[in-house]
Amino acid sequence: MSQLVWNGLFVGSFYALVALGYSMVYGIIKLLNFAHGDLYMLGAFIGFAVLGAAGGVSAAMALPLLLLVLVLTMGVTGLAGVVLERVAYRRLRGAPRLSLLITAVGASFALEYGMRAAAGADPRVYPVRLGGTSLEVLGARVTLQQLALVAVAVLLMIGLNLLVTRSREGRAMRAVALDPRAAALMGIDVDAVISRTFFLGSALAGAAGVMAGAHYGKIDFMMGFLIGLKAFTAAVIGGIGNIPGTMLGGLLLGLLESFGTFWLGGEWRDVFAFGVLILFLTVRPTGLLGERVTERV
Amino acid sequence: MRKLYGTALTAVMASAALLTAGCGQGLLGGGDDAGSGEKKDQPIMLGMLIPQSGSEAAIGPYMSNAAQMAVDEINAKGGVLGRKLELKTADDACDPQTAAAGANKLVTAGVDVSVGGYCSGATLPTLPIFDKAGVPMIIPVANSQELVDQKLKNVFLINGTGGQQAAAAAAWMTKEGAAKVALMHDNTSYSKDLAVRTQKLLDEPGGPETAILEAVTPKESDYSANINNVLAKKPDYVYWTGYFQEAGLLARQFRQAGYKGKIMVGDGSVSPKLIEIAGAEAAAGVYATMTQTPETLQGAETWIADYKKKFGSDPGPYSNQSYDAVRLAAEAITKAGGTDGQKIVAALEAIDGFPMFSGPLKFTPEHTLSTGGFQILVVKDGAFALQDALQ
Amino acid sequence: MTGPGEGTPPAAPASAASSTAAPTADPAAPPRRTGRRGAGPRSIASRLMENRWAGLAGLAVALLAPFVDATPYALSVMTNAAIFVMLAAGLNIVVGYCGLLDLGYAAFFAVGAYTSGVLSTRFDLPLVATLPAVLVVTVIAGLVIGAPTLRLRSDYLAIVTLGFGEIIRVTANNLDVTGGPSGIYGIPGLTGGPVSFYYLTVLIVALAVVGAARLGRSRLGRAWRFVREDEDAAEAMGVHTYKVKMAAYVAGAIWGGLAGVLFGAHLSAISPTSFTFLQSALVLMAVVLGGMGSIRGVVVGAVVISVLPELLRDLADYRYLAFGVLLIIVMLVRPQGLWPARSREVAK
Repeated sequence: MSQLVWNGLFVGSFYALVALGYSMVYGIIKLLNFAHGDLYMLGAFIGFAVLGAAGGVSAAMALPLLLLVLVLTMGVTGLAGVVLERVAYRRLRGAPRLSLLITAVGASFALEYGMRAAAGADPRVYPVRLGGTSLEVLGARVTLQQLALVAVAVLLMIGLNLLVTRSREGRAMRAVALDPRAAALMGIDVDAVISRTFFLGSALAGAAGVMAGAHYGKIDFMMGFLIGLKAFTAAVIGGIGNIPGTMLGGLLLGLLESFGTFWLGGEWRDVFAFGVLILFLTVRPTGLLGERVTERV
Repeated sequence: MRKLYGTALTAVMASAALLTAGCGQGLLGGGDDAGSGEKKDQPIMLGMLIPQSGSEAAIGPYMSNAAQMAVDEINAKGGVLGRKLELKTADDACDPQTAAAGANKLVTAGVDVSVGGYCSGATLPTLPIFDKAGVPMIIPVANSQELVDQKLKNVFLINGTGGQQAAAAAAWMTKEGAAKVALMHDNTSYSKDLAVRTQKLLDEPGGPETAILEAVTPKESDYSANINNVLAKKPDYVYWTGYFQEAGLLARQFRQAGYKGKIMVGDGSVSPKLIEIAGAEAAAGVYATMTQTPETLQGAETWIADYKKKFGSDPGPYSNQSYDAVRLAAEAITKAGGTDGQKIVAALEAIDGFPMFSGPLKFTPEHTLSTGGFQILVVKDGAFALQDALQ
Repeated sequence: MTGPGEGTPPAAPASAASSTAAPTADPAAPPRRTGRRGAGPRSIASRLMENRWAGLAGLAVALLAPFVDATPYALSVMTNAAIFVMLAAGLNIVVGYCGLLDLGYAAFFAVGAYTSGVLSTRFDLPLVATLPAVLVVTVIAGLVIGAPTLRLRSDYLAIVTLGFGEIIRVTANNLDVTGGPSGIYGIPGLTGGPVSFYYLTVLIVALAVVGAARLGRSRLGRAWRFVREDEDAAEAMGVHTYKVKMAAYVAGAIWGGLAGVLFGAHLSAISPTSFTFLQSALVLMAVVLGGMGSIRGVVVGAVVISVLPELLRDLADYRYLAFGVLLIIVMLVRPQGLWPARSREVAK
């Protein structure tokens, strides 16, 4: 039982990290960024390249090195997100919202198959692996490295939440999310705020990519596709655009999958997870923490 | 208003004129390129459907590279019947619709023999297309029973079938004295078929019993929930029937979860990548059911070296079957004395003892291998090595 | 960054000249452009686009195409394109007319294909005999999927439809009656050969397209567009939004289901891999690329989306890279879609 909970929470924290970027971008420009999962993939490959450049490392140095790689990768992936917004989304901001969806899917294809052209279709394996000294916590088998990863994820999420709720930039973001026109009138540089949002969201996805690479080892050009869908789901469960809600949504989805597998077997897991989600949304149509907003009266 | 009508009318007429102008391959064109005897000076075309995009895209290059290698070798020796071979690949994306379009494209391009077919589900809709065009198919990988059940004369399977592999797996686990076996598959047709067939064999009295049949979602990273399910049944043998990416992750995560029993994988998982993904420690001692591979075959070292030299990477899953498919096609065309489909089919049926990686070839009346030639491999010192030939 | 739905994108073009009573782009619509005279000179291209013969010209091209190229490959690609047009026309009812974002449209496609496939192979029925059952099952599917989604708006709706799409696919993959992961094979065709099947498909699809366009112009169609533009206002004006949205779902389901029957007949084999999320996304892309709510645009969009990857086939490994880049470029150049609805209603 506690093992199921832990498994769910661990997987869920990955979902949450990726879902945050989804949710932030949605909150600010109402775009379902289908290429977001591919930024996770991009992060994993950037981390792979950086580690490869660093050469052989002793096991003792693995963790500090990985943290360094993590920070570097976050920066690069964040910039990639900014470029993506510039190229594929900015010019379409006034266009029908679904037009953006097309460029997002186009960007997703371009990233996936661009990476395939660059790195090949074969999966790659991270040179530095987090091993597993496991310990028992409340009857669940937990490895120190898993704990470390969850700690990093939690820190990143707390940092993001502080940034959005406490800082000047965060206030600007919230203002743009509420009403871009009014925000612009108040002297906020809307373009810059949107760029910053993409940077943050993409950096988090990149961080999740590196962590997945270091923990599971295997990366490939399609790895972002499934988790992109899951992150989207998680973001919606939590109340899309709402940061704490999104985190909760990620964890909840992880738990749903874990228990779904246990109760119904792996075959029916997704049916279970989506079934619960649909039932839940019919009862609470705006997600866990999403506010009930009357649309345009 | 009239002007508008005029413009539209002009447009329609222009396009109609365009249409009638280029009637080479149209309905009125009278098939001047279809079956007009032997094209003596042109190369013999082999068509190959492989996944180049989508979830199975990683497999494509292993197959097309090896096939290309066989083509180059044969051409270097003067080709077939004095004509060069040419390999034409098409993407099937492991999707029926894409595969059907790809098969039609190959047929239209005038391929003489098809040497492709990886995903069974995507290969099924291509059978009637090749059949109608009279193109013999030598299917290197796809091996679902449904391909055989179509009873098409032009279809030949050179991969061991699921039934043969299941028999090998069950025999080995019985020999090992396994008590409770967990069967895991990835819910694709090939993998599920193999798992279910193995389960049926294990259900017979005597020998090990099936503890659980567990499906995982392929292309994910974390299988701890599935592993949790499996370990709850306390098996002492785990048989994974899917592909190497998940196999590597599963082996690693099983060991991390404290599983001490044995792990065996199916032929789709036999790749150096499995060991790389799992890490040497977790991969050590993993068994595999596999047809003969270059790695386990005496005298195949040069083949591997050649492949590496040519493509800069190791051969992977199904490289050897793809290589053999091309060689077999060349042999059958030679025996048939031309590219007539029916004669090639007759030549293939008559083949007896053609040397392939899987052993001397002779087709059963169903056009499958008479013996699967499955062996048991084991990971030793970071590579798959022969454990038991199961003779 | 708190709640959803707040603040529409800044640049909502003030083109509300005609929103509810706007004539849709329909092949058979009477020319009504008197009101737009003097709106400035228009290019020949845009005049051609608004011409009522455009639809017939398109049909003529489709009918004449086999005279240019009737190789099995060309016929297969063209038949696929025609089926895809039908899918897009159906989704256009849901997304384009009614404004309900559906990310799981492949579910209806799958329901139609599987229902006819299972019945025809298990009971040795000709495909035509399965049609009544297909209609019943797809309508039920439309109702079942539609019912829980009606309270939801935009993106919550999107995720629920996505969920249903996945549920249908996974279920088809797990059940024995649907043939499990390898699906169903040996589905009988509708006609003797690929050429006659192509013509039959074109005929059915043409009827479906015209039917969808007619629906769009009907009383119901106006209600759909009202709901799309402003659901609350529509309700206040006495439109029964619940029924209207349900009708859109059911109509979309029928179109998708029938397209599924054609799909099965064309390929003779179906498997769950044909009904993935990607398929749903591609159909949606066809609708948006062409221009939501514009039936002509949607037809063009569907042809582009289904034929373009085939044209790019020779790029092999770079195929989808090129596809993705082209999509971005097309949308940047024509943000409203290739052939947008004339009223230029703001899509949500």
